[in-house]
Amino acid sequence: MVRQKSRYLLCELNVSDRSRLLLLDDRAVREAVRATVARIHGDYGAALCSLRFSVKYLNAHTGIVFLRCPKNCYRLIWSALPFITSVENQGQKVPCFLNCLHVGGTIRTCQKFLIRYNTQQLHRMLPQCKSEEEKLQVRKAILNCSLIKRNEGGFEDEAESGEDDEE
Amino acid sequence: MRAVGGEQEPAAFERTVLRNASPYHYLKVYLQLESATTRLCAVELKQLIVSGLSSLFGEVGAALPFDLLKYDEEALTGILRVHSRGLVKLWSSLTLLGSYQNEACAFRVLQVSPFLLALSGNSRDLQLD
Repeated sequence: MVRQKSRYLLCELNVSDRSRLLLLDDRAVREAVRATVARIHGDYGAALCSLRFSVKYLNAHTGIVFLRCPKNCYRLIWSALPFITSVENQGQKVPCFLNCLHVGGTIRTCQKFLIRYNTQQLHRMLPQCKSEEEKLQVRKAILNCSLIKRNEGGFEDEAESGEDDEE
Repeated sequence: MRAVGGEQEPAAFERTVLRNASPYHYLKVYLQLESATTRLCAVELKQLIVSGLSSLFGEVGAALPFDLLKYDEEALTGILRVHSRGLVKLWSSLTLLGSYQNEACAFRVLQVSPFLLALSGNSRDLQLD
């Protein structure tokens, strides 16, 4: 059997209140997406998209989510994303919305895009720094980022702490 | 073979291939209910079909545009029109529609055609004297 192809949707989870973002975990996001796909596309859509659907990566600090879906129905899931209004975790509803930044065939291409996107965001936000001290702080924080030798996701930490320290 | 004097244009030959003969498909359906006395008006029938579409295909399916062109309330027979792209969705939701107001029901699809004129005659109902 030849390779089963999937599509990875790189989405950004926007919440109005950043502190509540930390409550979310991948199970909550998965349930929210599944319920929305069932509401928008019915029994047919729910069954078709649940085959290889999973949340591969969720960063609670930056709100980046990787969703994995089968190649033949990624458009159904993509079209259901704008209808997600809130994610529920342990009885607490967090109002949020998901917008899709990138669709890739593998996790590696999505992560390459994420690094480029984060550097672009950094270049956009840096001129908005109010004082010289802030700029120095940001520069030091970025220079302090180092690749931690781990199995996977070494550069995730770099991207994450770079984004984090701009706030 | 005759001698050709001067330029002669080859006979023009144009072939038109249509993947889809008509933009709409027409279905003749009959609603069979458990009790023989229940009657539905046209609006109720359309509401029933929309509810079937929404349970199988969700909000997007319920928004599928289709029309009830003719409806015979006594015979519970009607003609539906749908775009050709939506035929599969409509037909499959008619198939899987099982109940109307806690009463078992079934949609029998009698004829399907891309042309409305074809629904006027039916060789099954033909009576030979």
